Amino acid sequence: MIIYLRSGGKLHDLLKPDVDQYTRRVETHEGATLVEILGELGIPLVMVAFAFVDGKVRKLDYVPTDGDVITIQSPVAGG
Amino acid sequence: MNGFGGTILRINLETGEIKRTPTPEKFAREWMGARGFVAKTIYDEVPRDADPLGPENILIMAPGVLTGTFAPAGSKIGFGCISPATNGHADSNMGGHLGAEMKYAGYDMVVFERISPEPAYLYIDDDTIEIRSAGDYWGMGSLDLEKRMKDDLGEDFQIATIGPAGENGVVYSCITHDFGRQAGRCGVGAVMGSKKLKAIAIRGTKSIPVHDLPALTKSTYDIIQRTKTHPLMEPWQKYGTALFVGWSNEHGCFPSRNFQTTYHEGWEGISGEKLAEEILVTHKACFGCWINCGKYSRARIPGKPDIYVEGPEYETIALCGGSCGMTNIHDVAYANYLCDNLGLDTMSGGNTVGFAMECYEKGIITKDDLEGHELRWGNIDDFENLVRMIADRRGIGEVLSYGTKGAAERLGRGTLAFAHQAKGMEFSGYDTRWYSAQLLSYCTSDIGAHHNRSWAITADIEIGQDTPEGKAEVVIYLQHIRPLFDTWCCCRLFWGEVDVTAEEHVDTIGYLTGWDVTFEECMQISEKIWNLTRSHYLERNGGPGRQFDVAPARQLEEKVPSGPAKGQRVGVENFEFMLDDYYHNRGWDKNGHPTREVLEILGLPHVADNLEKVGLLGEPFVDGVPKVRGKRLKPKAM
Ligand code: SF4
Repeated sequence: MIIYLRSGGKLHDLLKPDVDQYTRRVETHEGATLVEILGELGIPLVMVAFAFVDGKVRKLDYVPTDGDVITIQSPVAGG
Repeated sequence: MNGFGGTILRINLETGEIKRTPTPEKFAREWMGARGFVAKTIYDEVPRDADPLGPENILIMAPGVLTGTFAPAGSKIGFGCISPATNGHADSNMGGHLGAEMKYAGYDMVVFERISPEPAYLYIDDDTIEIRSAGDYWGMGSLDLEKRMKDDLGEDFQIATIGPAGENGVVYSCITHDFGRQAGRCGVGAVMGSKKLKAIAIRGTKSIPVHDLPALTKSTYDIIQRTKTHPLMEPWQKYGTALFVGWSNEHGCFPSRNFQTTYHEGWEGISGEKLAEEILVTHKACFGCWINCGKYSRARIPGKPDIYVEGPEYETIALCGGSCGMTNIHDVAYANYLCDNLGLDTMSGGNTVGFAMECYEKGIITKDDLEGHELRWGNIDDFENLVRMIADRRGIGEVLSYGTKGAAERLGRGTLAFAHQAKGMEFSGYDTRWYSAQLLSYCTSDIGAHHNRSWAITADIEIGQDTPEGKAEVVIYLQHIRPLFDTWCCCRLFWGEVDVTAEEHVDTIGYLTGWDVTFEECMQISEKIWNLTRSHYLERNGGPGRQFDVAPARQLEEKVPSGPAKGQRVGVENFEFMLDDYYHNRGWDKNGHPTREVLEILGLPHVADNLEKVGLLGEPFVDGVPKVRGKRLKPKAM
């Protein structure tokens, strides 16, 4: 199945976008968690604070479904 | 002059004299605004032995070159003085709309001198400037007063106020504006209170001259189009900074119970998700911002009136929440409201209450000190009782009004070991025992511990959490780039989160002013300011400088007892290694004193002369100081 990972900021270079400036197309298998998918892409989990899918915050144990567009966010400082 | 309001105001609060002088272009170009204007002016004008809360200190209010312009969120304004918390340079930045309004009235800097004989407020309506009586306003809460002044003067005035804490000289009092934006740090509110200046009201209707309007318009339009679709825009708009409470806990840097540990049991109850589910009313933005990270909330606590407050954002959740043992987002929002209305910085305020709660737990503070109340972890009634005592400086509130360092010096009994501060200003909401670059950032900061001077947590991760090596150069770079946004006065979130580069901001300055300015030049200005504020600190406090760059014993020696960072501590040896590395890479000697060579490179030979006169000039480097001071960790500047 195909999912799309999106990010910017500190994660931009690690994500290596290939669809547009922010988006990477990722082929993966049903049932894989975000932890596994990010691990396969070589993105250190410690650099991902959370994922954002369909307007909702998800933890990294989230299991994507085909066609999901998932934003990943690095940790940042308070205001 | 393009890009600026054009006038500097000097207001002698004692005599009522108001002086207007044109803003010199050389001054504007060399110091760029806010933090730069403050550093230069207080260095030149405030006697070295001036009492921070006495008549010789000055209070400065200054926007920056980008304030009030098309720059992404050119919303910021700085307040500066000598800090009563640190006895050194202070500058504290706030968003909202005050800075833009001030430039539209035509002013680039207001310098408040001396002390008003009676409570007063400054009224500016374009060219009309008056010092008016604030007799009716004295004693009011910051938020209550802003509402009252909007009713009295009109909705289109932008208002800044202090609360009772500022009136009473609590050294971590803030200045509040826009019902929840604060110049929170360094005790600028106490200095305003010491001058009997209760509020500032500004309406400006002029415009800012621009060098190349078509180029400025096009570049801003392009940035808006690009960032509108940025993937990180939506999470920021929905949740703001509170969303990082979870990550901080899961990675062992969240302060729990006065930094006793770094994973807070029950953090889910004070998370960003909880905020959005339970208390969020609407989103709120500063001038010219389309991120709108501000969250406006309603807290409902049985037995207390419902309150509305802007926040709580990450730092308040960490320090009023985690560090005070809270697990309920309504309680944290209520604590946020109390601090805001009393005029206390939620960061130093929360940190100080957490410190006092630990003192209570250890029997160092007792019910007798608390007018019969208790001071239990996570108890909002106890929190309320104590912050009211602090704002009034009653009983133990007087001791705690000096912040954690001042209180520890008065309480003794080993309390300094768990006072989380550097140079007298409290830590932000990050424990550093697994993040040594962040500890170095706090301890070497010119204004005391503050994450906005350098936030190095992700640098720690990328360089290696277990090594002290390679951290100092990166901290130096961050200490130049992050406060640059407080000099230009635009919001750093556009740079940090949605990929507007610092270089794009520099281009904006060029379109605005016509200056042929480069990013490197701006970074050198930032480094110049850093060296000036360091030298100023030394001239006021003596030497050796190294004695001031110290870490709380808990961060160095006590292992984290639980959570993901269990067993971690920085260690004295690692810290001293980083400090040596830091001084060397700054071109300072082993005592932390700037050398003549580095000061001359930065255009500060007179500062070298001044340091030499008082015996605090750094020993020269045999092979010369490093040519590049500070290292950019990643091309994207983070
Ligand atoms: S991102 Fe937040 S702090 Fe920055 S200008 Fe916008 S609302 Fe203000």
